[in-house]
Amino acid sequence: MTEPKRVEINFFRPRGERQRREVRIAVIVLSLWALLSFGLPLLIWLAGLGDSTGLGRSFLTATRFCGFPLHYWLIAQGCTIGYVLLCKLYCRLWTRRLARPW
Amino acid sequence: MRSSRLLTLGALLLFLLIAATGASAGGEEIFEIEPGFKPLPAMIMLATLALYLLIGIYSRVSTTSGYWVAGQGIGKIGNGAAIAADWMSAASFMGVAGLLYLKGWFGLGYILGWTGGYVLLLVLLAAQLRRFGKFTVAEFVGDRFDCHAVRLITAGVTVIIAVTYAIAQFKGIGLICGWIFGLGYAASIVFAAGITLSYLLISGMTGVTRNQQLQYVILISSFLIPLWILIQKAGGAGILPQLEYGAILSGIMEGKVAESAGGQLTGDDLARAATVFLPWGTGGDIYQFIALVFTLMVGTAGLPHILMRFYTVTSEDTARKSVLWALFFIGLLYWSSPVYAIMGRYWNPLGGQAVADVIILSAPERAGLGPAFLGYLAAGALAAGISTLAGLLITGASAVAHDWYATVVRPASSEQERLHVGRVFTAILCGGIVLAALNPPALIAQTVAMAFALAGNTIFPVCVAGIWYSRANKYGAIAGLIFGLDMTLLAMGGWLLKVPFFSDGGLLPATSSSLIVCPLTLLIVIVVSNLTAHKVTPESAGRMDDILRRLHNLPRP
Repeated sequence: MTEPKRVEINFFRPRGERQRREVRIAVIVLSLWALLSFGLPLLIWLAGLGDSTGLGRSFLTATRFCGFPLHYWLIAQGCTIGYVLLCKLYCRLWTRRLARPW
Repeated sequence: MRSSRLLTLGALLLFLLIAATGASAGGEEIFEIEPGFKPLPAMIMLATLALYLLIGIYSRVSTTSGYWVAGQGIGKIGNGAAIAADWMSAASFMGVAGLLYLKGWFGLGYILGWTGGYVLLLVLLAAQLRRFGKFTVAEFVGDRFDCHAVRLITAGVTVIIAVTYAIAQFKGIGLICGWIFGLGYAASIVFAAGITLSYLLISGMTGVTRNQQLQYVILISSFLIPLWILIQKAGGAGILPQLEYGAILSGIMEGKVAESAGGQLTGDDLARAATVFLPWGTGGDIYQFIALVFTLMVGTAGLPHILMRFYTVTSEDTARKSVLWALFFIGLLYWSSPVYAIMGRYWNPLGGQAVADVIILSAPERAGLGPAFLGYLAAGALAAGISTLAGLLITGASAVAHDWYATVVRPASSEQERLHVGRVFTAILCGGIVLAALNPPALIAQTVAMAFALAGNTIFPVCVAGIWYSRANKYGAIAGLIFGLDMTLLAMGGWLLKVPFFSDGGLLPATSSSLIVCPLTLLIVIVVSNLTAHKVTPESAGRMDDILRRLHNLPRP
């Protein structure tokens, strides 16, 4: 007796056109998400390494954007607005590339 | 549509209130709140509570699907508002601004974690959970791994999270009821729990969802309105406070504060006020920041009372779009919390915990908004507490009544019987939470922070592996759940015993343990599943494959 074929799903090795597209969209959005969530704090940390007091002063804390110190704005608003846009991007990519029945 | 009608009703209420209030000028910058009975605010608060009960009666349910998941008929904006109300606890309504006041830039890590988690949720879990189409998270993993042990452990974790989280709500609720009604802590708890339980028992998730939509409108509007007046008092134009506070923040970093606080800080005061908003000015380093952000994100994406909301919507497309709306609604709160924090620093640049605790509740008085608004703000804060409590109760009760009783203990029970048991367990759970809240464990705030680590170390990685890795099986899931649970408890114990490794500056801080533990749990699920692949019977594999096909919309063979 032959065993029935098992379902194969692996995020890192998607099979079939539909799943490849789905994973590609997820990878795009998650990469941008990681860039915002970890890239920006790392940038602020790296830039502040030169401050001998250890408080993290840098060009990012000295620059002003819309009146804000840039390092504060980037995390308080830049990232969170970015997340909302990422969700919008995900919904839009899904509708464009995956909505029609497969 | 009913949900849009409710949102309109909320907006109308708000309009009437503002018309009745009239922003009176004057009022000094005070950071004190006076407990005691206040007639007009108390009436406003009672009126909103009566409204919740009416909505509950109006949305009576008679089916288990209506009780647990609102008959799966909720739309995207409605569900988005409900997720947001579910999410915004009394603690985030009142506490986040205080946290940002005390912790400056580092405190922004909480905002980052609590919003970024929704992106993970959307991309990895939301649509698949809806496609699964049943009631609870435990049911999802139990069916996916075809294993009652996985179901029971997950249900247990769900109950732990729901109970600790719910107890923490009562701290805020007690503060508000004491402030408006002059009630003591114990009386406040019984009062608020009574209101929540009444509409919950009558209407289940259907009423909870409708109430949460209204509660969102009340809580967000009461949170936002004082900002416009406060920013004008601080010298802003009063058009968009969320942008205008930047200039005030830059001023504080150069020592410019309110006239009443000295006008221009110098010497040590200047140095202290300026460093708070520098990246590492309140302590902490990059590892702690990233570990905190990551833990809050995976914790958010793994919180059972949030995941459960995706079962309540009409379709998977609605599930996706409701995350977008939820994040926007939550963003409104988190874009505004820092404004309160910065205003607090402007008027009181060197204050401590006492100022931070009441930064929101003292805002209407500082803004010179009359007593009617005071009542409205209190109603908003209470709405935040009650809506979260309701979501937690229904999630915790479903874990016991649905996943333990109806699925494992008595699979043959009738619909009527299950609904009855659901109500009984909701009441029992509420009673238990009230009893625990009357004698709260001393470290409740920290315990709640660990609830995120717990969700992020267990539920999140196991759900992700279950959806995205078809070879994951019950042995892997059990190993992963036990590892995640034990590591969280170990870190918690080590933290209580003050072991440096688990302290705030250690390598595995108890409240931020997921950066290391969550990926390890995922790895354990994968490795153990591969090692035990031969143990899975063909029948069990067939059942798991059926679920996977449903999750990924794959054709049947």
